[in-house]
Amino acid sequence: MAVQPILKYPHPLLKKMAHPVAVLDAAIHTLVQDLLDTMYAGPGSVGVAAPQIGVGLRVCVVDVSNSRHGKDNNHGQLCMVNPEIISRSGNAVMREGCMSVPDYTGDVERATEITVRFLNSETGQEREIVATGFEAVAIQHEMDHLDGLLFLDRVMSISTGLFRRKQYR
Amino acid sequence: MPHRELTHYAVSVVGADRTGIVAGVTEALYKLGCNIADSSCAMLAGEFAMILIVSHKKPFTKALLIEELKPVCEQMAMTLSVRHLPQGEEDRKETPGEICQITVYGADQPGIVYRVTSTLAARQINIMDLQTKLAGTEQEPVYIMLLEAVLPDGLAPEAVEQILDGLKQELQVEISVRIVTPVEL
Repeated sequence: MAVQPILKYPHPLLKKMAHPVAVLDAAIHTLVQDLLDTMYAGPGSVGVAAPQIGVGLRVCVVDVSNSRHGKDNNHGQLCMVNPEIISRSGNAVMREGCMSVPDYTGDVERATEITVRFLNSETGQEREIVATGFEAVAIQHEMDHLDGLLFLDRVMSISTGLFRRKQYR
Repeated sequence: MPHRELTHYAVSVVGADRTGIVAGVTEALYKLGCNIADSSCAMLAGEFAMILIVSHKKPFTKALLIEELKPVCEQMAMTLSVRHLPQGEEDRKETPGEICQITVYGADQPGIVYRVTSTLAARQINIMDLQTKLAGTEQEPVYIMLLEAVLPDGLAPEAVEQILDGLKQELQVEISVRIVTPVEL
Protein backbone atom coordinates (compact mmCIF):
# COMPACT_ATOMS: atom_id res chain seq x y z
CA MET A 1 0.00 0.00 0.00
CA ALA A 2 1.60 3.17 -1.12
CA VAL A 3 0.94 6.45 -2.77
CA GLN A 4 3.13 6.54 -5.85
CA PRO A 5 4.55 9.62 -7.52
CA ILE A 6 2.63 10.60 -10.66
CA LEU A 7 4.74 10.66 -13.80
CA LYS A 8 4.55 13.90 -15.69
CA TYR A 9 4.77 14.46 -19.40
CA PRO A 10 7.30 14.32 -21.16
CA HIS A 11 8.02 11.02 -19.40
CA PRO A 12 8.14 8.53 -22.33
CA LEU A 13 5.98 5.89 -20.63
CA LEU A 14 2.97 8.22 -20.83
CA LYS A 15 3.09 8.00 -24.62
CA LYS A 16 3.46 4.21 -24.81
CA MET A 17 0.80 1.60 -25.42
CA ALA A 18 0.30 -0.40 -22.20
CA HIS A 19 0.35 -4.23 -22.26
CA PRO A 20 -2.62 -6.40 -21.36
CA VAL A 21 -2.47 -8.16 -17.99
CA ALA A 22 -1.96 -11.91 -18.51
CA VAL A 23 -2.46 -13.18 -14.96
CA LEU A 24 -4.24 -11.60 -12.02
CA ASP A 25 -1.56 -12.25 -9.45
CA ALA A 26 -0.37 -10.60 -6.24
CA ALA A 27 1.63 -8.04 -8.22
CA ILE A 28 -1.56 -6.85 -9.91
CA HIS A 29 -3.33 -6.60 -6.55
CA THR A 30 -0.47 -4.47 -5.23
CA LEU A 31 -0.62 -2.34 -8.37
CA VAL A 32 -4.37 -1.80 -7.97
CA GLN A 33 -3.89 -0.85 -4.32
CA ASP A 34 -1.14 1.61 -5.28
CA LEU A 35 -3.42 3.13 -7.92
CA LEU A 36 -6.24 3.51 -5.39
CA ASP A 37 -3.94 5.03 -2.77
CA THR A 38 -2.51 7.44 -5.33
CA MET A 39 -5.97 8.39 -6.62
CA TYR A 40 -7.41 9.08 -3.17
CA ALA A 41 -4.29 11.05 -2.22
CA GLY A 42 -4.52 13.32 -5.28
CA PRO A 43 -6.39 16.57 -4.80
CA GLY A 44 -9.82 15.99 -6.32
CA SER A 45 -8.51 13.16 -8.46
CA VAL A 46 -11.12 10.71 -9.76
CA GLY A 47 -8.88 8.26 -11.55
CA VAL A 48 -5.37 7.00 -12.13
CA ALA A 49 -4.00 4.69 -14.81
CA ALA A 50 -1.03 2.35 -14.30
CA PRO A 51 1.25 4.15 -16.80
CA GLN A 52 0.88 7.30 -14.68
CA ILE A 53 2.69 5.56 -11.84
CA GLY A 54 5.27 3.98 -14.10
CA VAL A 55 3.67 0.62 -14.88
CA GLY A 56 2.97 -0.16 -18.52
CA LEU A 57 -0.01 -2.44 -17.93
CA ARG A 58 -3.67 -2.06 -18.88
CA VAL A 59 -4.98 -1.33 -15.41
CA CYS A 60 -6.78 1.76 -14.14
CA VAL A 61 -8.97 2.85 -11.26
CA VAL A 62 -11.85 5.31 -11.30
CA ASP A 63 -14.06 6.63 -8.53
CA VAL A 64 -16.21 9.69 -9.17
CA SER A 65 -18.49 9.15 -6.18
CA ASN A 66 -16.83 11.94 -4.18
CA SER A 67 -16.82 14.48 -6.99
CA ARG A 68 -19.51 17.05 -7.53
CA HIS A 69 -20.08 16.04 -11.14
CA GLY A 70 -20.30 12.35 -10.46
CA LYS A 71 -21.65 11.93 -6.94
CA ASP A 72 -25.22 11.18 -8.03
CA ASN A 73 -24.39 8.92 -10.93
CA ASN A 74 -21.63 6.35 -10.53
CA HIS A 75 -20.61 2.77 -9.93
CA GLY A 76 -18.47 3.62 -6.92
CA GLN A 77 -14.92 2.37 -6.94
CA LEU A 78 -13.94 0.73 -10.21
CA CYS A 79 -10.73 -1.29 -10.45
CA MET A 80 -10.41 -2.19 -14.09
CA VAL A 81 -8.02 -4.69 -15.61
CA ASN A 82 -7.81 -4.94 -19.40
CA PRO A 83 -10.79 -2.61 -19.89
CA GLU A 84 -12.39 -2.34 -23.31
CA ILE A 85 -15.04 0.04 -24.52
CA ILE A 86 -17.69 -2.06 -26.25
CA SER A 87 -19.88 0.80 -27.39
CA ARG A 88 -20.13 4.52 -27.08
CA SER A 89 -22.74 7.15 -27.86
CA GLY A 90 -23.47 10.81 -27.46
CA ASN A 91 -20.86 13.48 -27.04
CA ALA A 92 -20.17 16.39 -24.75
CA VAL A 93 -17.30 18.72 -24.08
CA MET A 94 -15.63 19.10 -20.72
CA ARG A 95 -12.57 21.07 -19.74
CA GLU A 96 -10.14 18.49 -18.49
CA GLY A 97 -7.02 18.64 -16.43
CA CYS A 98 -4.63 15.79 -15.66
CA MET A 99 -2.10 15.18 -12.90
CA SER A 100 0.41 14.14 -15.58
CA VAL A 101 0.05 17.50 -17.36
CA PRO A 102 0.17 20.12 -14.59
CA ASP A 103 -0.92 23.72 -15.12
CA TYR A 104 -2.85 23.16 -18.29
CA THR A 105 -6.48 22.43 -19.02
CA GLY A 106 -8.27 21.97 -22.30
CA ASP A 107 -11.67 21.27 -23.79
CA VAL A 108 -12.11 17.65 -24.82
CA GLU A 109 -15.08 16.03 -26.51
CA ARG A 110 -15.97 12.55 -25.27
CA ALA A 111 -18.84 10.09 -25.46
CA THR A 112 -21.53 10.63 -22.84
CA GLU A 113 -22.46 6.97 -22.56
CA ILE A 114 -20.13 4.01 -22.81
CA THR A 115 -20.34 0.29 -22.22
CA VAL A 116 -17.09 -0.97 -20.71
CA ARG A 117 -16.01 -4.56 -20.23
CA PHE A 118 -13.15 -5.33 -17.87
CA LEU A 119 -11.82 -7.83 -15.39
CA ASN A 120 -12.64 -6.98 -11.82
CA SER A 121 -9.26 -7.02 -10.10
CA GLU A 122 -10.73 -8.40 -6.86
CA THR A 123 -12.81 -11.26 -8.18
CA GLY A 124 -11.18 -11.93 -11.51
CA GLN A 125 -14.69 -11.94 -12.96
CA GLU A 126 -15.52 -10.23 -16.19
CA ARG A 127 -17.81 -7.30 -15.62
CA GLU A 128 -19.70 -5.05 -17.98
CA ILE A 129 -21.08 -1.67 -16.98
CA VAL A 130 -22.84 1.18 -18.71
CA ALA A 131 -21.32 4.43 -17.51
CA THR A 132 -22.78 7.84 -18.28
CA GLY A 133 -21.96 11.47 -17.63
CA PHE A 134 -18.85 12.35 -15.70
CA GLU A 135 -18.04 8.73 -14.86
CA ALA A 136 -17.99 7.95 -18.59
CA VAL A 137 -15.65 10.89 -19.18
CA ALA A 138 -13.33 9.79 -16.38
CA ILE A 139 -13.17 6.20 -17.65
CA GLN A 140 -12.37 7.37 -21.19
CA HIS A 141 -9.67 9.72 -19.88
CA GLU A 142 -8.01 6.95 -17.83
CA MET A 143 -8.34 4.40 -20.61
CA ASP A 144 -6.64 6.85 -22.98
CA HIS A 145 -3.57 6.59 -20.73
CA LEU A 146 -3.48 2.86 -21.51
CA ASP A 147 -3.17 3.73 -25.20
CA GLY A 148 -0.46 6.33 -24.66
CA LEU A 149 -2.87 9.19 -25.17
CA LEU A 150 -3.06 12.35 -23.08
CA PHE A 151 -5.97 14.78 -23.13
CA LEU A 152 -3.58 17.04 -25.05
CA ASP A 153 -4.01 14.65 -27.97
CA ARG A 154 -7.72 15.42 -27.96
CA VAL A 155 -7.89 19.08 -27.05
CA MET A 156 -10.01 21.25 -29.25
CA SER A 157 -9.92 25.02 -29.28
CA ILE A 158 -12.88 26.82 -27.81
CA SER A 159 -13.10 29.03 -30.85
CA THR A 160 -12.95 26.26 -33.44
CA GLY A 161 -16.01 26.24 -35.59
CA LEU A 162 -17.70 29.30 -34.27
CA PHE A 163 -15.24 31.88 -35.56
CA ARG A 164 -13.67 30.12 -38.48
CA ARG A 165 -15.88 30.76 -41.43
CA LYS A 166 -15.98 34.49 -41.92
CA GLN A 167 -14.36 35.64 -45.14
CA TYR A 168 -13.02 39.17 -45.41
CA ARG A 169 -12.85 40.87 -48.73
CA MET B 1 14.91 28.99 -14.11
CA PRO B 2 13.66 30.79 -10.98
CA HIS B 3 11.48 33.77 -11.79
CA ARG B 4 13.63 36.28 -9.97
CA GLU B 5 16.43 35.64 -12.43
CA LEU B 6 14.13 36.55 -15.31
CA THR B 7 12.79 39.81 -16.56
CA HIS B 8 9.45 39.89 -18.39
CA TYR B 9 7.95 42.02 -21.16
CA ALA B 10 4.55 42.32 -22.78
CA VAL B 11 5.01 42.54 -26.54
CA SER B 12 2.32 43.20 -29.09
CA VAL B 13 2.66 43.21 -32.84
CA VAL B 14 -0.24 44.12 -35.14
CA GLY B 15 -0.44 44.62 -38.86
CA ALA B 16 -1.97 43.58 -42.17
CA ASP B 17 -1.84 39.81 -42.42
CA ARG B 18 0.83 38.19 -44.54
CA THR B 19 2.89 35.03 -44.49
CA GLY B 20 5.84 34.96 -42.12
CA ILE B 21 4.82 37.36 -39.34
CA VAL B 22 5.08 34.81 -36.53
CA ALA B 23 8.24 33.34 -38.01
CA GLY B 24 9.86 36.78 -38.32
CA VAL B 25 9.00 37.93 -34.81
CA THR B 26 9.87 34.66 -33.12
CA GLU B 27 13.16 34.40 -35.01
CA ALA B 28 14.22 37.74 -33.57
CA LEU B 29 13.13 36.65 -30.09
CA TYR B 30 14.94 33.33 -30.41
CA LYS B 31 18.17 34.96 -31.54
CA LEU B 32 17.97 37.32 -28.57
CA GLY B 33 17.59 34.38 -26.19
CA CYS B 34 14.06 35.33 -25.18
CA ASN B 35 11.48 32.76 -24.06
CA ILE B 36 7.84 33.03 -25.06
CA ALA B 37 6.13 32.39 -21.76
CA ASP B 38 2.57 32.92 -22.89
CA SER B 39 1.10 34.07 -26.15
CA SER B 40 -2.03 34.47 -28.18
CA CYS B 41 -2.22 35.36 -31.85
CA ALA B 42 -5.32 35.91 -33.89
CA MET B 43 -6.64 37.21 -37.17
CA LEU B 44 -8.91 40.14 -36.45
CA ALA B 45 -10.56 41.21 -39.68
CA GLY B 46 -7.58 41.40 -42.06
CA GLU B 47 -5.11 42.21 -39.31
CA PHE B 48 -2.87 39.71 -37.64
CA ALA B 49 -2.34 40.43 -33.96
CA MET B 50 0.28 38.89 -31.70
CA ILE B 51 0.34 39.34 -27.95
CA LEU B 52 3.23 37.74 -26.14
CA ILE B 53 4.72 37.65 -22.69
CA VAL B 54 8.42 37.09 -23.20
CA SER B 55 11.12 36.56 -20.63
CA HIS B 56 14.88 36.90 -20.69
CA LYS B 57 17.58 36.14 -18.18
CA LYS B 58 18.75 39.25 -16.34
CA PRO B 59 20.49 41.52 -17.15
CA PHE B 60 18.45 42.54 -20.16
CA THR B 61 16.75 45.72 -21.25
CA LYS B 62 13.65 46.83 -23.08
CA ALA B 63 15.89 48.83 -25.41
CA LEU B 64 17.70 45.66 -26.51
CA LEU B 65 14.40 43.94 -27.18
CA ILE B 66 13.07 46.85 -29.23
CA GLU B 67 16.33 47.18 -31.14
CA GLU B 68 15.91 43.65 -32.53
CA LEU B 69 12.16 43.62 -33.01
CA LYS B 70 11.78 47.06 -34.57
CA PRO B 71 13.48 46.33 -37.91
CA VAL B 72 11.51 43.09 -38.30
CA CYS B 73 8.22 44.85 -37.61
CA GLU B 74 9.05 47.83 -39.81
CA GLN B 75 9.93 45.56 -42.68
CA MET B 76 6.49 43.95 -42.45
CA ALA B 77 4.70 47.23 -41.68
CA MET B 78 3.58 46.03 -38.25
CA THR B 79 3.11 48.21 -35.20
CA LEU B 80 5.15 47.15 -32.21
CA SER B 81 4.67 47.85 -28.55
CA VAL B 82 6.81 46.64 -25.66
CA ARG B 83 6.20 47.07 -21.95
CA HIS B 84 8.39 45.90 -19.10
CA LEU B 85 6.44 43.94 -16.49
CA PRO B 86 7.15 44.80 -12.88
CA GLN B 87 8.12 41.84 -10.69
CA GLY B 88 5.02 39.93 -9.61
CA GLU B 89 2.92 40.90 -12.62
CA GLU B 90 4.16 38.09 -14.87
CA ASP B 91 2.28 35.24 -13.22
CA ARG B 92 -1.35 34.47 -13.80
CA LYS B 93 -3.13 34.85 -10.49
CA GLU B 94 -4.82 31.79 -9.04
CA THR B 95 -8.49 31.75 -9.91
CA PRO B 96 -10.33 29.95 -7.13
CA GLY B 97 -13.89 30.67 -8.30
CA GLU B 98 -16.07 28.89 -10.85
CA ILE B 99 -15.18 29.60 -14.46
CA CYS B 100 -18.08 30.41 -16.74
CA GLN B 101 -18.34 30.60 -20.47
CA ILE B 102 -20.84 33.24 -21.48
CA THR B 103 -22.18 33.38 -25.01
CA VAL B 104 -24.01 36.44 -26.24
CA TYR B 105 -25.39 36.85 -29.73
CA GLY B 106 -28.03 38.84 -31.49
CA ALA B 107 -28.79 41.49 -34.07
CA ASP B 108 -25.83 43.87 -34.20
CA GLN B 109 -26.26 47.09 -32.27
CA PRO B 110 -24.00 49.50 -30.44
CA GLY B 111 -23.08 48.68 -26.88
CA ILE B 112 -23.40 44.90 -26.63
CA VAL B 113 -19.87 44.39 -25.33
CA TYR B 114 -19.99 47.43 -23.09
CA ARG B 115 -23.35 46.63 -21.52
CA VAL B 116 -22.54 43.00 -20.84
CA THR B 117 -19.03 43.55 -19.52
CA SER B 118 -19.95 46.50 -17.31
CA THR B 119 -22.74 44.43 -15.78
CA LEU B 120 -20.22 41.69 -15.04
CA ALA B 121 -17.59 44.11 -13.71
CA ALA B 122 -20.12 45.64 -11.30
CA ARG B 123 -20.49 42.16 -9.74
CA GLN B 124 -16.72 41.62 -9.52
CA ILE B 125 -16.86 38.99 -12.26
CA ASN B 126 -13.42 38.99 -13.84
CA ILE B 127 -13.08 38.39 -17.59
CA MET B 128 -10.21 36.08 -18.61
CA ASP B 129 -10.90 35.69 -22.27
CA LEU B 130 -13.13 37.48 -24.72
CA GLN B 131 -13.68 37.23 -28.44
CA THR B 132 -16.19 38.94 -30.64
CA LYS B 133 -17.12 38.61 -34.28
CA LEU B 134 -19.46 40.34 -36.61
CA ALA B 135 -21.22 37.65 -38.62
CA GLY B 136 -24.46 37.30 -40.54
CA THR B 137 -25.12 39.30 -43.68
CA GLU B 138 -24.61 42.96 -44.51
CA GLN B 139 -28.38 43.47 -44.35
CA GLU B 140 -28.75 41.57 -41.10
CA PRO B 141 -25.48 41.65 -39.20
CA VAL B 142 -25.26 39.38 -36.18
CA TYR B 143 -22.94 40.12 -33.32
CA ILE B 144 -21.39 37.20 -31.48
CA MET B 145 -19.44 37.44 -28.25
CA LEU B 146 -17.87 34.58 -26.40
CA LEU B 147 -16.21 35.22 -23.07
CA GLU B 148 -14.85 33.36 -20.10
CA ALA B 149 -14.99 34.80 -16.64
CA VAL B 150 -14.19 33.87 -13.07
CA LEU B 151 -17.02 34.20 -10.61
CA PRO B 152 -16.32 35.63 -7.19
CA ASP B 153 -16.74 33.21 -4.30
CA GLY B 154 -20.34 32.41 -3.53
CA LEU B 155 -21.78 33.52 -6.85
CA ALA B 156 -23.51 30.64 -8.65
CA PRO B 157 -23.67 30.40 -12.45
CA GLU B 158 -27.48 30.52 -12.26
CA ALA B 159 -27.13 33.86 -10.53
CA VAL B 160 -25.08 35.14 -13.47
CA GLU B 161 -27.89 34.24 -15.85
CA GLN B 162 -30.27 36.18 -13.63
CA ILE B 163 -27.92 39.15 -13.50
CA LEU B 164 -27.79 39.19 -17.30
CA ASP B 165 -31.48 38.49 -17.80
CA GLY B 166 -32.44 42.17 -17.83
CA LEU B 167 -29.96 42.82 -20.65
CA LYS B 168 -31.28 39.87 -22.59
CA GLN B 169 -34.72 41.50 -22.65
CA GLU B 170 -33.47 45.01 -23.21
CA LEU B 171 -31.01 44.27 -26.03
CA GLN B 172 -33.05 41.38 -27.45
CA VAL B 173 -29.98 39.13 -27.53
CA GLU B 174 -29.43 35.53 -26.57
CA ILE B 175 -27.30 35.01 -23.49
CA SER B 176 -26.26 31.66 -22.13
CA VAL B 177 -23.97 30.75 -19.28
CA ARG B 178 -22.28 27.42 -18.74
CA ILE B 179 -19.69 26.25 -16.25
CA VAL B 180 -16.37 25.29 -17.76
CA THR B 181 -14.42 24.90 -14.52
CA PRO B 182 -11.85 22.20 -15.29
CA VAL B 183 -12.28 18.70 -13.90
CA GLU B 184 -9.17 17.01 -12.55
CA LEU B 185 -8.93 13.48 -13.87
